[in-house]
Amino acid sequence: MGETNTTEILEIVRSISNLERLSRIKEIVETAVKRGNTATEIVEKGIRRGLEDVGKRYESGEYFLSELLYAGEIINGLFDVLKLYLKQDEMKPKGIILIGTVRGDMHDIGKNIFGMLAQFSGFKVHDLGVDVEPKRFIEEVRKTSPGILGMSTLLTSTLPQLKVVIDELKAAGIRNRVKIILGGNAVTKQFAEEVGADAAALDAVEGVNICKRWVAAQ
Amino acid sequence: MTPRERIKAVINFRKPDVLPWIESMYDETVLAWFGQGLPPNKITMIEWEVGRAGTSLCNWPAVKGFDAYSYFGCQSFYGATIPVDIGPIPRYKLKVLEQDDRYVTIRTETGAIAKRIRGPEQTWYSMPMFTEFPVKDQKTWEAYKKRLNPKDPRRYPKDWNRGDYISACEDYQQGITTMRFNGFYGFGAELMGIIPFNLMLYKDPELIHDVGDYWEYFMTETIKDAVETLKDRVDMIYWWEDMADKHGPLISPKLFREYCLSHYQNVTSFLRKNGIDRIMVDSDGNINPMLDLLIESGITGIWPLEVNSGMNGIEVRKKYENKLFIIGNLDKRELAKGGEAMRREVNSKVPALKEMGGYVPGADHLIPVDFSLEKFREYADCIKKLLPYM
Repeated sequence: MGETNTTEILEIVRSISNLERLSRIKEIVETAVKRGNTATEIVEKGIRRGLEDVGKRYESGEYFLSELLYAGEIINGLFDVLKLYLKQDEMKPKGIILIGTVRGDMHDIGKNIFGMLAQFSGFKVHDLGVDVEPKRFIEEVRKTSPGILGMSTLLTSTLPQLKVVIDELKAAGIRNRVKIILGGNAVTKQFAEEVGADAAALDAVEGVNICKRWVAAQ
Repeated sequence: MTPRERIKAVINFRKPDVLPWIESMYDETVLAWFGQGLPPNKITMIEWEVGRAGTSLCNWPAVKGFDAYSYFGCQSFYGATIPVDIGPIPRYKLKVLEQDDRYVTIRTETGAIAKRIRGPEQTWYSMPMFTEFPVKDQKTWEAYKKRLNPKDPRRYPKDWNRGDYISACEDYQQGITTMRFNGFYGFGAELMGIIPFNLMLYKDPELIHDVGDYWEYFMTETIKDAVETLKDRVDMIYWWEDMADKHGPLISPKLFREYCLSHYQNVTSFLRKNGIDRIMVDSDGNINPMLDLLIESGITGIWPLEVNSGMNGIEVRKKYENKLFIIGNLDKRELAKGGEAMRREVNSKVPALKEMGGYVPGADHLIPVDFSLEKFREYADCIKKLLPYM
C-alpha cells in the first residue's frame, strides 16, 4: 500500500473511532477506493480497526451502548457502499458463530448486538433467534458446523437451560466440536465454568474479543 | 414508630427505632408460593363493596389482592401510590394480533407490539420480545403526543378531592406514600425501543430534544395539582429509568447531560419547591458512572443496586455519604440459595450499612419466581434479627 493509501485508511479508522457523521465517513471510504485501496483492505485495515477502537473505548468506559450502536450504524452504512466492490471470494469469514437465546427467554437485544459486532468483525453469524429449544441448537451445530456456539439468557429462571444444551451436546458426542460462550445478564463467569462452557462475556464487545482470540489461537 | 415513619427516617438519614425492610414481589412469585404452602387465608385482602360491579345493592366481599409483605414482616416498596395517570389517554386498544400453541403477539396499551411465550413456561413479569414501537420519527411522535394531554380529566381519579386525599395521605402509616414517574431515558426507550432510541440520540437530536421537552412539560403539568396539594405528604418519588446493563449505562453520561439533565433538574426543582426532596431512581444494571450526574439532576436515592452488575452499596455509601439513600443491594441469587450463602450476603452488608445510615435493606430487584418460599422464609428469619437497634 502506498503512502496516500495508508493516510486514507488511517482516516477511516479515526473517523469511525470518533463516530463522525456517516455521510462524511462514506466520502472518505469512496476516496480511498478511488485512490486504489481494495475493498478488502478498507474493510480489514480501516473499518474493522475503527470498530476495534470503538470497542476499546467502550471497554474503557469512554463509550456506552449508545455509541456502540451508532458505530454499528456507521459500519452498516459503509458496507452498503463497499458491497459494490467486495468480491465474495476475497472476504473469507474468520469463522462461523451460531447464536441464540435459550428456551423460555425472549430477550434478544444483547444477542443481536453481539451478532452485529461479530459479523462486522469478520465472522459469519447464524442467528437462531429467541426461545430456542435445546434440540434445535444440537441440530444446527450438526448442520452448520460452527466453530463457536454463543448462547444467551437474561433471566435467572432460564439459566438452567444453558446447562441442558451443553449436556445434550455432550450426550450427542459433539461438545468438543464447538467452543461455547455464554452471555446475558444472568450469566457469570463462575456459572459458565460450573456448567462446562468455555467462556462467559460481560458484554458484546468482550464476547467478540474472546471469539477473535479463539480464532487467532487456532 | 409506624412503618411509614421508619422508612421516612432512614431515607432522610435519621435513625429509626427498628430498621425497615422493603421488598417487592412479583405476583407470579406469590402465586407460585401458594403451591409451596403459603396460606392464602393469611394474605388475601378482602373488601366489602357494592356487589357484582354495581349490579346489585347488597354489599359483597371481594378479593382485592394479596399482602404477603405483612405476613413476612417486610414492607411493600411502593406503599400508597398517588393515582395520577401519566400514561397515554386514550390507551391503545389491547389486542391479540396473532397466536399459536407457543406464542401470543399483542398490541399493548402503550402502543407497542410484543410477542410472548404462552403456556406453562409463560412468565408474565419477564419482558416479552418487542417487535414494534409506536414512535419511529417526528410524525409518529406528533401522533403519540395527542395522547399525552396533561389537562385530560381522566388523569386524576374520579374521587379526586384535595381534602380527602390530604387526610388519606396523613392517615396511611403502613408504608410510604409515593408518586411514580418515567424518566427521560426510560420514556424514550419505551416509546421507540432501546436500540432505535439510542440510535436516535445520534441520528435525530431534534426529535430527542422535542421528546424530552414535551415529557417535562407534560409530567410537570400533570402532577402539578397532586404535588401542590399533597406537598411533603408524598414521602418519596419513584422514578423508573432502567438505563443500564451489566457493562454500564445504556446512554453515555455525555448524552445524558445533553438530553436529560436539565429536564431532571427542572422537575426536581419543582418538587423541592413543594417540599418533596426524597427522589429515587430505579435502574437495574451498573449505574456507577451515572451517580454524579443523577445527584446533579436532583436525585437523592437509588434502587436496586444489582450486585450481579457490580453495584456495591457500601462503596456507594462511602463515596456519596448522605447524598444518596440506598434501597436493596442484597444479591437475590445468593438469597435464593438459602443457608450459608444467604447468611453471608445478609451479614456482610446489612449491619455495616445500617450503621452508616440511609439504607433500607432488601433484595436487589423484585423477588423472582424461582426464589422458593422455604428460602424466603429462611431469609426473612435471618434479616429480621438484624433490624432492631439495641
